[in-house]
Amino acid sequence: MDIFSDLLMGMSVALSPVNILYLVVGALVGMTVGVIPGFGPAAGIALLLPVTFGMDPISAVVMLSAIYYGAMYGGTITAILLNTPGDSGTVASTFDGYPLAQKGRAGPALVMQAVASFTGGTVGVILITLLAPLFSQVTRSFGPPEYFLLAMMGILTLVVMIGGNWRLGLISALIGFALGTVGVDLETGRSRYTFGSAELIGGINFIPVAIGLFGLGELFYAFYRGIHKVDSSDMITYDRKNNFWPKAQDFIETRFTLVRGSLLGFVIGVIPGAGAAIASLVAYSVEKSLSRNPERFGKGEMAGLVAPEAANNGASSGAMIPLLTLGLPGSASTAILLAAFLMWGLRPGPLLMTQNPEFAWGLIASMYFGNMALLTISIFAIPVFVMILKIPYRVLAPVVLVICTLGTFSVNSSHIEIYIMLAAGVVGFMMRLYGFSPAAVVLALVLGPLAEESLRQTLTISRGSFGIFLDRQASVWIIVITIVLVVVLPMIQLIGRRAREGKSTT
Amino acid sequence: MSFHKTGLTGRGMATLAATAILGFAVTGTAQAQDYPAQPLDMTVAFAPGGGNDIMSRVLADILQKYDLYTQPISINNRSGGSGAVGWGYFYNQAGSAYDVSSTSGSIITTPLQADTPWHITDFTPVALLATDDLVLAVSSDSPYTTIEEFIEGARENPPVIGGTGTVNVDFIAIALFAEKAGFEFDYVPFNSRPDSQTALLSGALDALMNSPGQVVGMVEAGEMRALAYTGGSTPAELEGVPTMASLGMDPGVSMPRGLILPPDAPQEAVDWWIETMRFVVDTPEWQQYIASNMLTEITLFGDDFNEYILNTEAAFANTLRAGGYID
Repeated sequence: MDIFSDLLMGMSVALSPVNILYLVVGALVGMTVGVIPGFGPAAGIALLLPVTFGMDPISAVVMLSAIYYGAMYGGTITAILLNTPGDSGTVASTFDGYPLAQKGRAGPALVMQAVASFTGGTVGVILITLLAPLFSQVTRSFGPPEYFLLAMMGILTLVVMIGGNWRLGLISALIGFALGTVGVDLETGRSRYTFGSAELIGGINFIPVAIGLFGLGELFYAFYRGIHKVDSSDMITYDRKNNFWPKAQDFIETRFTLVRGSLLGFVIGVIPGAGAAIASLVAYSVEKSLSRNPERFGKGEMAGLVAPEAANNGASSGAMIPLLTLGLPGSASTAILLAAFLMWGLRPGPLLMTQNPEFAWGLIASMYFGNMALLTISIFAIPVFVMILKIPYRVLAPVVLVICTLGTFSVNSSHIEIYIMLAAGVVGFMMRLYGFSPAAVVLALVLGPLAEESLRQTLTISRGSFGIFLDRQASVWIIVITIVLVVVLPMIQLIGRRAREGKSTT
Repeated sequence: MSFHKTGLTGRGMATLAATAILGFAVTGTAQAQDYPAQPLDMTVAFAPGGGNDIMSRVLADILQKYDLYTQPISINNRSGGSGAVGWGYFYNQAGSAYDVSSTSGSIITTPLQADTPWHITDFTPVALLATDDLVLAVSSDSPYTTIEEFIEGARENPPVIGGTGTVNVDFIAIALFAEKAGFEFDYVPFNSRPDSQTALLSGALDALMNSPGQVVGMVEAGEMRALAYTGGSTPAELEGVPTMASLGMDPGVSMPRGLILPPDAPQEAVDWWIETMRFVVDTPEWQQYIASNMLTEITLFGDDFNEYILNTEAAFANTLRAGGYID
C-alpha cells in the first residue's frame, strides 16, 4: 500500500530526536497559549514563527502545527474552569463545561475534554492519511454561495440552541450582528461606524468581545454575589479523592458522541473558512437533537462538552487538508502556517505532497504523536489546573483580570481592544444578570460578517439572482443538510417524546 | 571560513574578494560619519509571516552577515489597523536615524481610508527594492487559453473577476488594465488571496487577480492558467506568460517593497542607507529572496523612489475616486 509506505517514511522523519524535541516544545507552548484567554493558536504560532526563520522546514512545521492543535487542548481548560473561551472554537464548550465544574465535576470534565480532544484529533489524522485527496474535492466545490449557506446553517443551529428564552437570545444575536458591521465594508471599501479610527477599520475582533462577555462578565457577577468575601471559593467545589477521574458511565454515555463529534468536526473543518466555531456549534446541536434528555443540555451534561470538544479538534485536523492538498488555509492559524511555508521556500499547491513528501508526511505522522503527547500532558497537568479552584476568589480574581487584559493586548497590541474588552465585561455582567446569551453575541459576531460578505459576493457573481443557490450541487446539499438539522431532527425528537409520554400516561 | 584547508574554490574566492572591496567601500564612508553608532529598530507594520516581515528579516540577515550594520538590529512587528499602528509609531520617531521601516500597498491605501496622522509623503524615502506584482489567471476549465482570447471574450460578455479587497492594488491594477483593453467587468472582493482562489476553483468566478507565489503551484498542477502579469518582467516560474506592458496595456501600478526612514531623518543616515542598499541588492542572498518570493526586481533610490511613490499614489487615488470607493 502506497499510503502506508508514505506514512512509514513520515514516521521515520517525525521520530528523529530533533523533531520529537520540537514536537514536545510545540505541544507545551500550544497548551500554554491555549490556556491564556485571547492568546490562542494564531498568536502562539506568530510568536514562534520568527524563530523558525532559517530552520529546517520539517522541524519548523512539526513545532508550529503542534502549537496549533495543542492550543485546542488548552483552550477548553479556561472554558470549563472560568467560563472563558479563549477562541471561537471553544465557545460551545462553555455551554456544559462550566455547569459541570459548578456541579463539582471539574476533574471529570477536564479529563473527558482531553479524551475528546484526543479522539477528535486522532480520528482527524487517520482521515487525512487515508482520504486527503478525496476531501480536497470537498474544498474545491466551495465558493461564496456555499459559505453563505454554511453561515446560515451556523446561525440557524444557534437559534435552535438558544431554545428556552428565545426573545433574549434573539436580542443577543442581534447585538452580535450589529458589532459585526463595524469596519471597512469589503464590497464598497467604505468604513462603517469607525468614526475615523484607523484601529477600527479592521472591524471589532472576536477575542476582546468574548473575553469581556464571558471572562470579565463572570468575574463581575461573582463580585456581585459576594464570592470574594468567602474564604475559599464555593463557586466551584472540587474533591480530589472521590471526584477526579470520570466514571465508567461518562465514557459509555458519550462513546457515540465522541465518534459523531470527531467526524462532523473533521468534515466541516475541511471547508476553508468554516472552521472550529461552526463545527463545534453544529456538533453540539446534533447531540442535543439526538439526546434522549435534551433538557439536561446546558446544565452540565457530559455529552454537551464532549461533542464540541471532539468537533473542534476534528476541525483543526480537517483544516490541514486544504492547506496540504491545495495550499489554501481555512483559518487565521493555518493562514500563518501558509505564510510560513512560503517563508521556508516551499511552494504550496496541489503538488506539495508529491514534490515534498518528507515534509507533508512528516507533518502528518507527527500529528499522531502530537495528539498522544498532548493527551499525556493534559492528564498530568489537569490536577495542577484544578488547583486554581482552591485559590480564594479575592486572590484569583485580580489575576484573572490581569491575564485577560494581557491576553487581549497580546493579539494586536491594541489599546482600543482593551477598552472593548472592558466594555464587553460590563455588558456581559448585565447579560448574566438578566438572562441574555453571551454565546449568541460572540457567535453572531463571527458568523454575521461571513454571511454578509459571502451573500454580497454571491449576488455580484450571479448578478442579483438567488437562483445560483439551486444551480450549484454543493449548495443544494447544504440546504438539504440544514433542513435535516434544524427541522427534521428536532421534529423526530418531539414525536419520539410525545410517543413516550403517551405510553407513560396510559 | 576555513583557510587552513586548500579547498577554497575560485568562486568562493571571488565572492570573498567582492565582499571585501564593497564592504570596505561602504563601511569606509560610514566610519567617517560615525554611523551607525546605535542599535537599529526595524518596524514591521504587519504580523510575522507577511511580505513586509519576510523582507525585513532577509534584509537584517544580509546587513549582519556582511557586517554592514555593526550594531544590533531588532525587528518589531507593530501590527494593527492595516499598517496604521506600525507606521503611526514610526511617524512618531521623527528625526531618528535608528528607525527604519518597509513599505507596501497599505502605506498608500490606509491613509486614503482612515484619518491617519501620517501620510506617505511624511516619511523619508530611501529605496524601492522590488515590486510585488499580480497574475491574471483563469481556471483550467475556462474556455480562454490566451490573454487575447480572454480580452475578446470579455468585450462581448463582461467577466466576473475576483481579487483581494477593494481599496487594494488587486482591484486598481485590473481596473486600469480593463480600461486600456476596452472591456468591462464585475469585481468581487475577497478577504484574502486564498479565498478568491477557492472561489475560482469552485467555478464561481471567471478569473482572478492573485500573487504569483500563491498561484504558481496551481498553474504547475494544471488547475489554473496564468494569462498575464502586471509587472515589468515575468518570474521564471511563469515563463511564457506575457506582461501587460508587452501588450501595450500596462496598468503601471504595483505593491512597492521599499525602505523608508522616519520624517526628517538626518541626511547622514539617509546617505548611508542609500549607499548600503545599493550594495545589498547585488548580494546573492537578496537575489535569492527576489527569486523565491517571485518579486519583480526594480531599484530606485532617494528622489526617484519618491517620484515613483507619488505616481503610484496618484494612480491609486484616481482609480478609487472614479469608482466611488473613496472621497
